[in-house]
Amino acid sequence: MHRASKLQTVSKIIFVALILIVATTLLWAGNEAKGKYYFKQNCKECHSKGAVGGEITPMSKTQAQWKAYFATGKHNKRVEPLTKIMPDDQLRDVQTFLANHAVDSLQPETCGK
Amino acid sequence: MDRRRFLKFAAGGAAGATLAASVPYLEPMLRKPQLKTERREVPTTCEMCVNKCSIIAVVEDGVIHKLNPNPESPRSRGMVCARGNAGLQQVYDPARLKRPLLRAGARGEGKWKPVSWDEAFDFAAEKLKAVKEKCGPQGTLWSSTESFQETFFKSLGLALGSPNVERHPTLCLASVNLAYSLTFGTVPSFDLLNARYIIMSGANRLESFIMPDTVDLVGSTTERKARLIYLDPRFTVTAAKADEWYPIRPHTDLAFILAMLNVIVGENRYDKEFVATYCSGFDKLAEHVKTYTPEWAETETEIPAKDIIRIAREFADAAPRALYYAGRRSSWYRDDFPMRRAQAILNAVIGNWDRQGGMVPNAKIALGEYMFLPWDDPTAPRVDEMDKNFPLAAKGDGAYLKMRENILEGKPYPVKAWMIHKQDPMNALPEQAKTLRMIEQMDFIGVIDVQMSDMAWYADVVFPESTYLERQDPVEVLAGILPVVVYRQAVIPPLHDTKPTLEIVQGLAKRLGLSQYFDYTIDQWIDAQVKELPLDTPLEYLKHHGVYASPDGPKYGTTLKPDHRFVTQSGKIDLYSDRLREAGYDALPVYQTPMQPPAGRFRLILGRKAYFTQANTTNNPWLNTFAPENVLWIHPASARSVGVEDGDRVEVRSSVGSITVKARVTQEIRPDCVFTMHGYGKRSKWQSRVAGAGASDAEIIETAWDQVSGGGAFHETFVKVRKV
Repeated sequence: MHRASKLQTVSKIIFVALILIVATTLLWAGNEAKGKYYFKQNCKECHSKGAVGGEITPMSKTQAQWKAYFATGKHNKRVEPLTKIMPDDQLRDVQTFLANHAVDSLQPETCGK
Repeated sequence: MDRRRFLKFAAGGAAGATLAASVPYLEPMLRKPQLKTERREVPTTCEMCVNKCSIIAVVEDGVIHKLNPNPESPRSRGMVCARGNAGLQQVYDPARLKRPLLRAGARGEGKWKPVSWDEAFDFAAEKLKAVKEKCGPQGTLWSSTESFQETFFKSLGLALGSPNVERHPTLCLASVNLAYSLTFGTVPSFDLLNARYIIMSGANRLESFIMPDTVDLVGSTTERKARLIYLDPRFTVTAAKADEWYPIRPHTDLAFILAMLNVIVGENRYDKEFVATYCSGFDKLAEHVKTYTPEWAETETEIPAKDIIRIAREFADAAPRALYYAGRRSSWYRDDFPMRRAQAILNAVIGNWDRQGGMVPNAKIALGEYMFLPWDDPTAPRVDEMDKNFPLAAKGDGAYLKMRENILEGKPYPVKAWMIHKQDPMNALPEQAKTLRMIEQMDFIGVIDVQMSDMAWYADVVFPESTYLERQDPVEVLAGILPVVVYRQAVIPPLHDTKPTLEIVQGLAKRLGLSQYFDYTIDQWIDAQVKELPLDTPLEYLKHHGVYASPDGPKYGTTLKPDHRFVTQSGKIDLYSDRLREAGYDALPVYQTPMQPPAGRFRLILGRKAYFTQANTTNNPWLNTFAPENVLWIHPASARSVGVEDGDRVEVRSSVGSITVKARVTQEIRPDCVFTMHGYGKRSKWQSRVAGAGASDAEIIETAWDQVSGGGAFHETFVKVRKV
């Protein structure tokens, strides 16, 4: 294979990889503020202190654990699809909210609100 | 003159009356006693600085007569400072903003046309819509300073689709907040009340800011004999009260701290059990500080090596009731962050974390939230390019000075509208000429404030906010060693045609088609907040008491469990930070010998007085009497070298401008530094007491920012001084 052709192939691979990376990023780049709203509206009833599902907050898991949790697509001991609770686009927002405030996330504090 | 002396004078009858004519302080005290028909005491929350102390307003016949401390607050504990007392002048100052104003001349000319609220809203909304049409929503900038209603203002900018919200921490504590967040996963409180050994670098706590920390420090040092070591190029009140004062060479505090670490680690004086259980990266730290010897630090700091060694040993011996106090200061230098992080690391290795007399993670009280479906995310990146320039910093705060540079260069996109909430960038930002250039290139400027600040002076429309004594605000939790919930209720109805920020935001939102995000009342907002408080009738309680404190006392050691996970990358206290390394910064604090002023020049250093809140209260009729103008502190030897005598008028010139003020020749400052106060030489003629009195330091401070947090760095300016 000519050098020019090799370069073209490598360039194509890099291009496709970049597209995949961007697409993957965008796929999970939900709206954090909306995610908080959906989480409080749909999840807190069962996942507050003393409630049936036990308290869950963003700090309950690391970012990797939240990613793995949403990858299963299931909840309630992995028997019920998450989409039964809310549609995919809302789940994406909730995942963004939870991951951005996970226990190992970067959360520089500020003054006031 | 203190209050006691005033009262003494006030009892002086005719003499007092004569004095009252010239001293506005005395006038309320010398009014003839009249029969009061109505007297009320209303608990509320002060807004004269950021500390949010609890107060009780005494209202007689509809007039606020006095502001007293609220003894129910465990934080402010029966204390109201000079600013707190003078707060009622915000209501009764004849020069306050009383109605909406449209600019009627050139910007800064001071010609105004009073208009109705509808006219003001229509005008501003049309301008904002025009900029949105021309530049996109990212072409609007939303600047704000801390207040209980700031959230509504920020929300309007975000709902419009702008990513550009710039907040005050980027001109204040950004480097401290980031350093402690990256080390501990949070910014703790400092238990000054119970500490036995305290070191402060330039945190002039006894003079600059009267707050609970200040009171605790007084108690610690005077009653319980805690030892206070104070480092400052200036002989401040805190220096006068300290056990030891070192006029450290500016920009070398990091060398002092690294040398302390060298001694404490090298002599095995650190808390081995704590470090092994709760910290990560100690071995790398130990290796890193080996070369930072006290002898080396002496050449940098001018503090004798024997003193550094002794202080390090005493500090470690006093642990855990020893702390290196972070203070509440802006960033000083371009490399401010490593110095703040070194402080955090030094505190960590002596094991003062979550211990009485050490650093304590803040306790909180849970509040509810008014929930509504928020807006879509903005599609454009921030104009200050935080992701690229300051990837670890608090994105919601922005980086003010980088933002101004980018806007002046029109990159990455044009910004043509500027909305400002209770902030005065004309004085808060360095290099005022650049701020004026930014103002010139704006199609529209709108300001919300209670007074005609310099920024309002250059606005196109001014929205007068009701003062904090005339409005009800959202409830706020003050986290800390003793957390409290504070409530601000209207003490009197608004005296003039003013509105609270929420109503100003709603008026604009309606015209911008964004009402769905602001479809609530302040009462509904507060009801949602307080419903989770452990009280039967929480709002009634707050209306009656003004403050709710958890019945639990201070709790120490809640995080001292081996399985506790800190909110850091490693889950432990990050002495060595992989997160910093991955972002391209030094994982441990590295000292670079700083540039010092060349011959004939002086480093300009800044500081505060407890009666002024930045540039915000210098025009207050009562507070202004303490210091009607600013002067330049200069050492006698330096003054001689430039032919200046005490009281001379001097020109102070930097690379970006010059000002003229009177010289105060004093030994209370190092010969290589000069100092002046902030908040004078105002352009706004409505600030008549400080318009033309003294000069604005913002005209000569050069633009610089901390490289990690993006926070403005305010001690990087060298100036020349000459008699005029």
